[in-house]
Amino acid sequence: MDKYLEFTGIGKSYPGVKALDDISFRAEGGKVLALLGENGAGKSTLLKIMSGDQQANEGTVSLSGETLSLSSPAQAIKAGISVIYQERQLIPSMSVMENVFLGALPSKNGFIDYKKLRADTVALIEEFGLPILPETPAMFLSIAHQQMVEIMKAYRRDSAVIAFDEPTAPLTDTEISTLFRIIRELRGKGKIVIYVSHRLKEIFEITDEIVVLKDGRYVATLQTSATSEPELIAAMVGRDIGDTYANLSRNEKYGDVLLEVRGLTTDMLRSVSFNIRAGEVVGFAGLVGSGRTEVMRAIFGADAIDSGEIKFDGETVKFRAPKDAIERGVALCPEDRKEQGLVLWRSIEDNIIMPVLAKLKKGIFLDPKASEDLAINEVERYSIKTPTVDKIVAELSGGNQQKVILGRWTNKLMKTKLLILDEPTKGIDVGTKAEIYQMVCDFAKQGMAVIFISSELTEVINVADRILVMHDGEIKGDLTREEATEENVLALAMSE
Amino acid sequence: MEQQRVSRLQRIVRSKAFTLFVLLAVLILGFGFLSPVIKRGAMFFHSNTLKTTLQDLSIPAFLAIGAGCLMVSGSLDFSQARVGAFGGIIVAAGIQWWGLNWGAAIIIALALSAIIGLVNAILVNELKFQPFIATMAMSSVIYSVMYLVATDRTGQIQSTINFTNEGLTKIIDWNLKIGSFELPGTVLLLLAAFVVYGLLLSKTRFGRQLYLIGGNATAARLSGIDAKKTSYFLFINCSVLSGLAGIIYTGRTRQGSLLALANDQFTGMTAAILGGISFGGGSGGMGGAFLGLLVIKTFSKGLAIINVNTYLTNVLSGALLLAALTFDYFSQRSQRKRIGI
Repeated sequence: MDKYLEFTGIGKSYPGVKALDDISFRAEGGKVLALLGENGAGKSTLLKIMSGDQQANEGTVSLSGETLSLSSPAQAIKAGISVIYQERQLIPSMSVMENVFLGALPSKNGFIDYKKLRADTVALIEEFGLPILPETPAMFLSIAHQQMVEIMKAYRRDSAVIAFDEPTAPLTDTEISTLFRIIRELRGKGKIVIYVSHRLKEIFEITDEIVVLKDGRYVATLQTSATSEPELIAAMVGRDIGDTYANLSRNEKYGDVLLEVRGLTTDMLRSVSFNIRAGEVVGFAGLVGSGRTEVMRAIFGADAIDSGEIKFDGETVKFRAPKDAIERGVALCPEDRKEQGLVLWRSIEDNIIMPVLAKLKKGIFLDPKASEDLAINEVERYSIKTPTVDKIVAELSGGNQQKVILGRWTNKLMKTKLLILDEPTKGIDVGTKAEIYQMVCDFAKQGMAVIFISSELTEVINVADRILVMHDGEIKGDLTREEATEENVLALAMSE
Repeated sequence: MEQQRVSRLQRIVRSKAFTLFVLLAVLILGFGFLSPVIKRGAMFFHSNTLKTTLQDLSIPAFLAIGAGCLMVSGSLDFSQARVGAFGGIIVAAGIQWWGLNWGAAIIIALALSAIIGLVNAILVNELKFQPFIATMAMSSVIYSVMYLVATDRTGQIQSTINFTNEGLTKIIDWNLKIGSFELPGTVLLLLAAFVVYGLLLSKTRFGRQLYLIGGNATAARLSGIDAKKTSYFLFINCSVLSGLAGIIYTGRTRQGSLLALANDQFTGMTAAILGGISFGGGSGGMGGAFLGLLVIKTFSKGLAIINVNTYLTNVLSGALLLAALTFDYFSQRSQRKRIGI
């Protein structure tokens, strides 16, 4: 009887969000199981729980019937679970052999037994059929080989479970085929392999079973050989598009072309061109890493542009820093709210007045009353739940934090003409999401052009008037809301 | 939700400064009670004690201000002591060896300090060195240059350069007479500096930018705040204040010394940290730093007056800093726990 890993009723909550809700399924040894779902479906959270990085609030994980205690990464490793993340966890300056045997270096008389270490590593490298040397420092290996070392580490530990988080994202085709050969070998040895990826093609190639998650819930387990791409997409997308979208009060009349991007090229983007009119809501769809965020950062002056032209409000512009863009009326709510958007340990007031500090002067000083009034005005307008504007932003829920950023860019001292929202609903509860959709439409009614980026397909195609689909740094499609179905947007976003 | 305005009193009581104020009061009363009695009262309360305590304060104070501003913005400068000593050496050598008048010597010393600050800023902002590495390296460069400056005509290195200059001495030792009490001019200058920098940090646009940059430099940049310009100002400012501290030291002791201010840099940073300016940036202020300085100096002065030996005094001062940092750690941890991050 092969081993099996069983999840029973796993639940995980963060303040204001339920990331996982009653997840139960079983992964069997000698099989490769895919975890599939849109961004935010809960795949990463589940991996984090497996690796002991985070702890579930409810439910248990058990290996062949034995309940595991996964309160730290060390315990997860001891229990036989290895999770191989996208970002490598090797020690760059140490050699391949030291990395592979980290934590279990063979010793003789109190010293490291390098002879044995080398012999053991050579045996492993040969088993994997890799062209690498045991003495090479990890930092000199290609990304693919670093990943292989990571896998050898898991293999050496004799882990029963080996999970991969988007392993092929940085790999070339040949490297992918090596990886798949090794995954098949692991499967042949009866390991439980869990494979997380967005790439449907690969999932069909390498996996035996597919578990689909959506919004933190378990949807279905499908046999790879018995399913099809459309069926998978339908399962991922779900059919619970509520009335939220139908009830949106949208902007009907557009103004002149506000933003015109021609041939925008950077190291991540290939000749991106598009127009946006005042009063229009344009959605950007595409997978994580498709270049959506990079387009916005380039327009906003946050990243340098190699070539291409940007016309804003009738003039050719060159924004050398976000400051220049903001002065002309461009605003960006960045995708990572906590790392890039907010100054978490400062007050709501400070976070709202950031771009308008210069306009709140009274002589040589900041005008404290004008500043507080401005913040109170935004807190009331967006009904941010807080007793005072003095409260530090870290204490707010995700939805309220997002509203603080919206208040920053749309307060009465700003003259925002183009508002870029990068993943504005990430980690936000369903109710606040609906509020944000209506706000987006309201901004358009006030004459702003709005760019709405989201990895949640359902919301992009239902909130935006027009949808641009990106893949690999290029715009692959320009669809109206009527034309855009989840199926054809996803097909464009995953086109090879 | 109905928006409440935050009352002034609430802000004051919740602040770190208030905690320090209470601590300072406890120290003063405690030492007053323990100190030996001379003439008509406790020695600790004697006006001369107050005067010398304040005078001792002026040098670390300028260092604390410069370092504090940088630390609020999430940066730091470890070259302060050397810059100060360098400024002092330039003034002493200028007057004694090069025949400059004292005004010119001071201007040259401050200008050189500003240039050092500019180089620090370039290293950090353009060449992307860690502030710690950049200013440490700068520190040893300055030390070597000081040796060159302090080499006299016979080729001998003078670790101290003595000088006599009535004009400078008169300015540095000038006192403001209030009744029978004499308030040193340097103390007036440091009080003025605390007020000016305190207002700069808490009341101006520039100050608010420092906190936002220190809190999250990426978010600040994406909100249109020019962090680079700010950083240049802060490094130059910190260096000039360090130079000024060195000049005051030199004026008071009538000598430039290669090893001047070494302890004061530590005291200045400790005061800033004690006052709530953390190395992480984005918090604290000048009021806290000033109170922190008063606490440290009262503590060491008090220990000296009740005849605790010097070694034990150092141990206790270290313990005070550790206690403050531990308190800080636990209060921050409980705050984070409450929010769940």
